[in-house]
Amino acid sequence: MTPTKLITAGVLLALSTSTALAGNTINVLTWEGYSDPSFISTFEEQSGCKVNATYVGSNDDFAPKLMAGGGVYDLITPSIDTTKLMIDLDFVEPLDTAKIDNWDKIYPKFLGLDGIQKDGAYYGMPYVWGAIAFMYLDSAFSTPPTSIADLWNPDLKGKISLWDDKSSIYVAARKNGDMNIYDLSDEQIAKAQAALLEQKPLVRKYWATAGELVDLYKAGEVVISNTWAGYQSGLLAAEGVKVTEFIPTEGAEGWMDSWMVVKGTPNKECAYKFLNMQLSELGQCGVANINGYSVTNPAAAKACMSPEQYAALHQEDPAYLDSLMVWQPLGDRFEAYTNAWNAVKAQ
Amino acid sequence: MTLIRRNLAGALILGIPFLWIALFMLLPYGIIVTYSFWIKTYPTFKPAFQFGNYLTLFTDPQYLQVMLRTLKIALLVSLCSFLLAYPFAFYLVFRCKSAALRTWLYMAVIAPLWVSYLLRAYVWKTILGTEGILNSFLMSVGIIDQPSDIFLYNQFAMVVTLTYIFIPFMVMPIYTALEKIPLNLTEASADLGMGPWRSFWHVTLPLSLPGVAAGFTLTFCLSFGDFVAPFLVGGPDGNLMANVIATQFGAALNWPLGSALAIVMLVVVLSIVSMSDRLERKGAAGGF
Repeated sequence: MTPTKLITAGVLLALSTSTALAGNTINVLTWEGYSDPSFISTFEEQSGCKVNATYVGSNDDFAPKLMAGGGVYDLITPSIDTTKLMIDLDFVEPLDTAKIDNWDKIYPKFLGLDGIQKDGAYYGMPYVWGAIAFMYLDSAFSTPPTSIADLWNPDLKGKISLWDDKSSIYVAARKNGDMNIYDLSDEQIAKAQAALLEQKPLVRKYWATAGELVDLYKAGEVVISNTWAGYQSGLLAAEGVKVTEFIPTEGAEGWMDSWMVVKGTPNKECAYKFLNMQLSELGQCGVANINGYSVTNPAAAKACMSPEQYAALHQEDPAYLDSLMVWQPLGDRFEAYTNAWNAVKAQ
Repeated sequence: MTLIRRNLAGALILGIPFLWIALFMLLPYGIIVTYSFWIKTYPTFKPAFQFGNYLTLFTDPQYLQVMLRTLKIALLVSLCSFLLAYPFAFYLVFRCKSAALRTWLYMAVIAPLWVSYLLRAYVWKTILGTEGILNSFLMSVGIIDQPSDIFLYNQFAMVVTLTYIFIPFMVMPIYTALEKIPLNLTEASADLGMGPWRSFWHVTLPLSLPGVAAGFTLTFCLSFGDFVAPFLVGGPDGNLMANVIATQFGAALNWPLGSALAIVMLVVVLSIVSMSDRLERKGAAGGF
């Protein structure tokens, strides 16, 4: 063989193996922890499918990444306030729920949500859920805070943080006594905006990522904030910072993340194997152990969690789940909410 | 044959950069301009030709506010950089006798450019924080007895961080401009009875203005478009234009409005650049 022929053969070989691999590799665009090696490597061995994960920092990352051109990602995990947008943007395809073994075990409350359905078909497989709880630094309070109003307390000036997200409007609206947070009128949004402006001089920093909030507590910059229940408090506990989560008297929002299949994926077989795994004990306890979130399949959770973890994650506590105001798609009201929040930040 | 080959070479040498500019500069600008006339409709946006996005920018106070704040921060950064960089460059060129020391000091200013921007911005967080180095120092020397939170997460922190990051772009052109001034001009001015201050005022400073203009342009434009400092060390009142553009392309999914903002920013930067260009040419022609 001449060198040229050898190189040609090598290139051809490389090309053919890479195409052969393509059907066995799935690319997931997801949150950190949802595709953690601690359980994904077991899946890869059992299924023969390889998983590549790209992480998002916020729900706002899904649309721009998918808009930039298709063919890259096979599966995504937007939260319940973004899933409808994915469906309306025509980025995802209906699920064949018959191919998902544990579908019927999912909490009925989640299967009843509008955000993951359209025209009688399901587009999202509920995966994990939790509360947007509030959190305080133990050492800073002699009497623990109980209300959203504590984030407006002038005594805490410069020690308050709030999530840089449209959800701040939900928080301010509840403080104002408007409980219809996903259906606010223009006046109610304006009132929420005014409340946030009133709070702004007290705010040290609006937090944008989970890591940023952890850093703010660690560096002693803030003592009270909202949080993704279970996640940042777990990271802080690991760092030896003592914080406590609480559900304020005004209630807390609930979130739920679903796996969605990107339209036209060529890797359907592996994608469905992956969905099945994520709803099984392997995936459900895998993510619960990494992120500290509650999961959507209580049967799997019961089988793989210790009784303490099962109770701590409110897996058998319908009252807790029902008390959460689970995020809803805002549809064409979305702009009014984001615009109000942007106006607060612009001031 | 040789003629064809020569033409081909010429076409390649000129053609590739031209293609590059067309493909990676003009085309993207064209796309942004086009988007800026489109209209937002749920779930995304659709083609249109209307000026609604530009109108929003100038009627909704939130955008004017951010624009003015960005101008203010960029001006403050340029001014602080100038006040620090000019005496430093002056010392290096005219007062520093040892060539080795001069090279060493010059490198000390330039060297941070080789360190990642993000890392340098992060470092300021650990310096300015409530439990940071600055507070520990002030407390240890007894100037304050409680850690202060006035250093981080506000516009002051942004100006400090951006000045630190962009100051090399002010030092380099001023140094070059000062170095080009023939020494005999100052000597002549002294011979004619001018004191050192008046010589500086009437000879050195005017001759170095093109360098100052270049430095101002660089630091202004760089901080005008900055996105990271507000995110890392800015506080609740630290949103700049680039952050608002990012929000429009991300969270708000309003690419048309984001594009209109980007075009306004581009116009501001281009007018600054052309103004400084005119100033430099005037300086080169000696028309002060």
